[in-house]
Amino acid sequence: MSNANSPPPLPPVTGPGSPQDVPPLLGSVPIDPATLPEAIREELLAPDPVAIDTSAAELKDGLNRCPKCGATDIRHKPGSDLLVCLYCRNEWQGARVEEEFGFGVGIGQLKGTVIASGARDIAADVASLMSFKCTGCGAEVTVNTDNAMTARCHWCRHVLGVNEQVANGAVPDAVLPFHIKKDDAVARIRQFVDKRRLFALKAFKEQFTPQNVVGVYLPYMIVDGNVSVEVAGQGEIQTREYTRGTGDKKKTYYDADVYQVERQVDFTVDDLPLESSTERGNLDTKTNTNNIINTILPFDTKNAVKWNASYLSGFTSEKRNTDVERLRPRLEDQLLSVGRAQVEASVSRYGRGVRWEQERLSVHGTRWVSMYLPVWLYSYHQPGSNGGMLHYIAVNGRTGETMGSVPVQQWKLLTAALTVGTFLEGIALWIMVGTS
Amino acid sequence: MSDDNGLWLLAIGPAGATALYWALYRYYRNTDKSHAFERETAVEAQPVTGSDEKIGENNGTRETSISGNNVSAYRTRVERVRDDAG
Repeated sequence: MSNANSPPPLPPVTGPGSPQDVPPLLGSVPIDPATLPEAIREELLAPDPVAIDTSAAELKDGLNRCPKCGATDIRHKPGSDLLVCLYCRNEWQGARVEEEFGFGVGIGQLKGTVIASGARDIAADVASLMSFKCTGCGAEVTVNTDNAMTARCHWCRHVLGVNEQVANGAVPDAVLPFHIKKDDAVARIRQFVDKRRLFALKAFKEQFTPQNVVGVYLPYMIVDGNVSVEVAGQGEIQTREYTRGTGDKKKTYYDADVYQVERQVDFTVDDLPLESSTERGNLDTKTNTNNIINTILPFDTKNAVKWNASYLSGFTSEKRNTDVERLRPRLEDQLLSVGRAQVEASVSRYGRGVRWEQERLSVHGTRWVSMYLPVWLYSYHQPGSNGGMLHYIAVNGRTGETMGSVPVQQWKLLTAALTVGTFLEGIALWIMVGTS
Repeated sequence: MSDDNGLWLLAIGPAGATALYWALYRYYRNTDKSHAFERETAVEAQPVTGSDEKIGENNGTRETSISGNNVSAYRTRVERVRDDAG
């Protein structure tokens, strides 16, 4: 067969099979599993990790000192939105930013660009290393805001957190605490990989240790928008279907009416998340698997609480490095896509489809809020050319939605494909011999 | 004719192999997945308005749909009309 020696090329960055495609519905498989060999079918049909609904989540908030005893050894209580004082066991919650700052209301009246204080532009001269004078003992303590927001004073064991909003992008407006516990995340990752073992890379299976999953707070911009989208193009309605010719030369022809179609829709979007780290926002599937982390969006950002560094103790974090203006093209692209999805139902009478040729976006107002969102990340580095590939398996720290990239053992996959292809070819030849 | 028919059948083997390869590859690597913001974002839309005007006919075509049909390809960008005022 033509594809016997070299594997088919990788899917292109744009076009079919890339994250630029509208993703298929969850759990859908392009080939009917019933037609596949039993071992493959079992993997495809095994249950996916279940995503839970956390919309009734509790609120929470915090100071860096326990309001009851004043201790600083404060942690986020796993599985809840509470903070707990490790000294006196006092537990308390924080204010939801949704109500506190009125995010989520008045989107329809938004005008211009509203930027929350934590989403302001990043100043070039602000270092990511910040040092504090410990109020307990006077020692200097350094926090590297690239990957952490709290540090313990090694002399008096006070915990210091970065609470004040500095212009290096490290302190967001709000944080959404982890809801899914580590054990739960490990179980979901295991379940996800168990569905994908047959053709997985041998080294990946041997080194698979989901206990090594880490909790990371990743930076996002949560955007509300008030926009209008106009599209114009041509649509066709079939008026007649007929055949010409006889026997083997019979061909089907169609007659259609052509219409000039224009549509306009005003809409608001609420809490659209955009990656505000340049690295995470790069969804080139040839060089990285960041689309995996993109897929587990969205989060229940309505439940986000006011920033408190104590939520991050025990977790790592990634600093925001993108400003509002840099993210605007991606926002506009997504808004146009949403608009096109909105008008689709209104052109259903065009049975032969519509070819949109022009589109126009008018952004009346946007509101930008910077947020840390919780993700459990398991990673595996596959060696290869150009530094290899880092494969992620990510679990949404709120809903438990799980997505991952499992490296494949190419020769196994090719053998299976060729075996099935040869089998089909055998049937084809058998039919040809039978009919000639 | 039968030759025509036979050649078409020969493609089944390679086509089946390629389809299975890509289906399994995507099942493992999930390269085609991304945030389905069109479906998963809270959108409040006003009623859609617009116009439809018949401009011609496309008769005797053998295609089953309009060329360049992109009604469901929301993420495929077409010519952008800039709105400098807004």
